[in-house]
Amino acid sequence: MSVLTYHFSEPQPQLPSPDPPQPRPTSSRELTAAVPESDVTMEIRLSAMERPLTVLRVSLHHPTPGPATFANVPPQLEHDTSPLLVGRGPDAHLRLQLPRLSRQHLSLEPYLEKGGARLAFNLKALSRKGCVWVNGLTLRFLEQVPLSTVNRVAFSGMQMVVHIEGGTSLEAFVCCFHLSPSPLIYRLQAEESDEWEIIPQEQPLSGSGQQTPGHLGFLDSPSQPSPGGAPEIQLQREPPDSALC
Amino acid sequence: MSNFEDADTEETVTCLQMTVYHPGHQQNGIFQSIRFFNREKLPSNEVVKFGRNSNTCHYTFKDKQVSRVQFSLQLFKKFDSSVLSFEIKNMSKKTKLIVDNKELGYLNKMDLPHKCLVRFGDYQFLMEKEDGESLQFFEIEFSLSTRPLLQENNWLPQKHIPECGSYSSCSTQNNSPIEMGENEW
Repeated sequence: MSVLTYHFSEPQPQLPSPDPPQPRPTSSRELTAAVPESDVTMEIRLSAMERPLTVLRVSLHHPTPGPATFANVPPQLEHDTSPLLVGRGPDAHLRLQLPRLSRQHLSLEPYLEKGGARLAFNLKALSRKGCVWVNGLTLRFLEQVPLSTVNRVAFSGMQMVVHIEGGTSLEAFVCCFHLSPSPLIYRLQAEESDEWEIIPQEQPLSGSGQQTPGHLGFLDSPSQPSPGGAPEIQLQREPPDSALC
Repeated sequence: MSNFEDADTEETVTCLQMTVYHPGHQQNGIFQSIRFFNREKLPSNEVVKFGRNSNTCHYTFKDKQVSRVQFSLQLFKKFDSSVLSFEIKNMSKKTKLIVDNKELGYLNKMDLPHKCLVRFGDYQFLMEKEDGESLQFFEIEFSLSTRPLLQENNWLPQKHIPECGSYSSCSTQNNSPIEMGENEW
């Protein structure tokens, strides 16, 4: 179980954004990483009074990002139990600057299963014009699905992998964002096959923060034991272009 | 006439009828912020919050025993359906939310049945959905009941509040037990 400490220091200066500065949503708070961004390992401590936060490790990839696409993506974002909005608009907690992205494109909503002790998450499509592909399912406006531990999401050309590491806090959760230069969702070579292919993940280069090219650019999981490598990942066949959102 | 012929086709709108009851509503003014018998139109992606805090809640109750955010309602669309459904979520850490006979704890949520009774504390809400075609908007309309909803013979809400203030003198309720089918309230 991973726990997270956060420092209330001054935020690091961000890359200049073409958009005028907008007031931050009050339900979210950007956090500086406890260690430099390039270090893949985060030191985690817990005070006696705090419960460990659920961590959403979010990897993002766009094949042709513009200079402003990820300009508003912080290293970390703490959010309360209201839905976390992803979109292009000023109300979005995760703001991505893509012309085809709706102002509110999707939301990640925490909730508790009956009898559950850890936050679960629901992904809901909020775009009236676009759609969201989630773990093989295409969501249209107002459709929603519960998320699994590892989730592959595609929308407006963006690829997003969300890895949920459960904590016991019911007050808030934290998103840790990672920008991947490599695609996150691959097309299998045998296109006529719909079978699952299990490809063991290679160890990421330590300290470099760079992803091994040509392989699954995946999340850093310092809390995961890795005697022979990171956990095996099941790849899913990339949907045909017409089905991509 | 040309405007009528050229105008966009109107769609019916999903409406949630909410009949509310609280034993102390007359003395304490807990529903003073609620506009009764008024259909309020809301965007379909809105998360509608109910509680004491007027800064965060769309509908507020003037009652210190109500949580700042008590519960929320939002629309969603099921994969195999062309109509919208409601989902209710308990946002209170202190109070359970009871939907029919199901108890929801903090952050628990469930699909709202087509017609159901929602309770927390002394509050009772009879909620009934009217299906509509529109995916863009929905409506909420409140009615006030001056009698408890959790009684066999009192499911029909009073649409008109008598000016005399006395419900019983204007009552048209049938006080004899009403036979109901298995699947009816």
